[in-house]
Amino acid sequence: MSSFARDNASLPVRGSAWTIICLMILPMSVVFAVSVTDRPYLSLPENGVSLQYYRNLFTSPEWLLSIWQSFVIACVSTMVAGALGTLGSIGCWRISSGASNVLRLVMLVPLMLPPIVYGLGAYQVWADLGWINTYTGIIVAHAMTGIPYVVITVSTALAGLDPKLEQAARSLGAGMGATIWYVIFPNIMPGILSGLVFAFIHSWDELVIALFIAGRNVFTLPRRMWDGINENLDPTMAAVASVLILVTLGLLVFELLGRGRKR
Amino acid sequence: MMTHTPETDTLKIRDLSKTYGKFRALDTVSLGVDQGEFLTLLGPSGSGKTTLLMSIAGFIQPDHGQITLGGRDITHMPPEKRSFGMVFQGYALFPHLTVNDNVMFPLKMRGEKGAQAARRVAEALELVGLSDKGIRYPRELSGGQQQRVALARAIVFQPHMLLLDEPLSALDTQLRGQLQSELKRLHRAVGLTFIYVTHDQSEALSMSDRIAVMREGRLEQVGRPDDLYDRPANRFVAEFMGVENFLPPELSGGQHTLALRAHALELAAGRGRVAAHVTERDYYGAEIRYTAHTESGVPLRFKIAAGQGESLPQEGDAIGLDWQDKDALPLADH
Repeated sequence: MSSFARDNASLPVRGSAWTIICLMILPMSVVFAVSVTDRPYLSLPENGVSLQYYRNLFTSPEWLLSIWQSFVIACVSTMVAGALGTLGSIGCWRISSGASNVLRLVMLVPLMLPPIVYGLGAYQVWADLGWINTYTGIIVAHAMTGIPYVVITVSTALAGLDPKLEQAARSLGAGMGATIWYVIFPNIMPGILSGLVFAFIHSWDELVIALFIAGRNVFTLPRRMWDGINENLDPTMAAVASVLILVTLGLLVFELLGRGRKR
Repeated sequence: MMTHTPETDTLKIRDLSKTYGKFRALDTVSLGVDQGEFLTLLGPSGSGKTTLLMSIAGFIQPDHGQITLGGRDITHMPPEKRSFGMVFQGYALFPHLTVNDNVMFPLKMRGEKGAQAARRVAEALELVGLSDKGIRYPRELSGGQQQRVALARAIVFQPHMLLLDEPLSALDTQLRGQLQSELKRLHRAVGLTFIYVTHDQSEALSMSDRIAVMREGRLEQVGRPDDLYDRPANRFVAEFMGVENFLPPELSGGQHTLALRAHALELAAGRGRVAAHVTERDYYGAEIRYTAHTESGVPLRFKIAAGQGESLPQEGDAIGLDWQDKDALPLADH
């Protein structure tokens, strides 16, 4: 069947497929080339490759601090989004009424709104709470906007779960907590892990909200990249981007492997 | 109607009601269940039988009424505290656990472990004939085997009673018959109270000590299978017990509607007790099945054994029908 399809794919179809793939991948791969440039500004290498900007990245206190801060923020906000998104999805699954469908939709709102809308709103509210330029502010914002990713993957996993499993567990003597821990969690773990990966990636490369909320004290990696581009076109930026892409790819591979093992 | 003595009940249900919006799922249901009894809740879908079972299990909170177990009020006790084994239509085995771990689950929840717990798991699996399947996962088993695992899991912790919600309806006819007799054997072997929900009257008749027939959230009749079969309280129960013919008082000549099975009606030599004309005639080899209508339009179904040599009525013929009084079941209402 698949070889049949391959043999019969016409040249225009194949050509446009490859064009799309190139348009998707190439702009990212250019970053790798730029990151090993030997010139002092953002450009392709001229007389050979140089790792000076990677050296610069891993010795510069500013960049290292931003990497560390982004990592901490991503970890904590992922845990928060994971816990809230998972429990919220389980709740909606158990109730499974019109109201819970509306609630599930509400949990997806941060994904549907432009981040700039959320960022602007968060800026106003966080200012009153004194959360601007604090870990708390960014973590809460990233956790809330990360929840939809968890809700989507966990709800998908729950859709394949027999609702009677909960009744069975409880009739066998498991309270609600034990039922969630011993029966529901093990069966939806692949969905939870996928959600955590996506929530982590979301926080790790989130820029728009960070533009509103981050400041001198908390300066996430995407925020520093943005400033780098605006101010001095430092090729270190490209090295950072390369690292960012590799980390993201690594997480996606981890997620795919996890899914593959389940099947 | 109820011949047992209420003093020996272990489970008592008193005036249980539950409404969803305008829908009365349970309407002042009262019922006692004896220790060790096999009681079946029988009724069509939407009759409230599953709602009643789920109230007993603790998954549905009734609006009114009370459930007591051995004199103790359990109406608001959460399901995990009731210690009632439960078997579901779709088995509801835990897919991430092996057969052994599935059966171990209720023991683990009670803090039992080690050699003694393992021995109880082995005994339960032996009771359902699955000793060699312990290390398998549920998805590796057939439907009938999965249902046996669900049974073992529901009885391994020695529950107060076993609640079964249409446990056989997902199985094919042959397997269902086989599991019916296994369930009866298991009931005798463990001596537990079984409360069994089904919409299949032949299943109810063959397995139960008593049957409670439900309709629209109410109990229509409670009694032994032969009570229900021979003395249905009303037309609904009679129809559920497979009675085809109902003669209103003006045709039966009595005060009550008469329920008559197809085999109780016979062709009269003369005018008979009821006059009708044949509207349908279906040949089935060993017998011929007839439908006739009276002048007032009441349908009557009867059978004649084939090969009797006599001239059999054809469609459109005017006939008379007779019956023996001992075969007629007078109904209390409609």
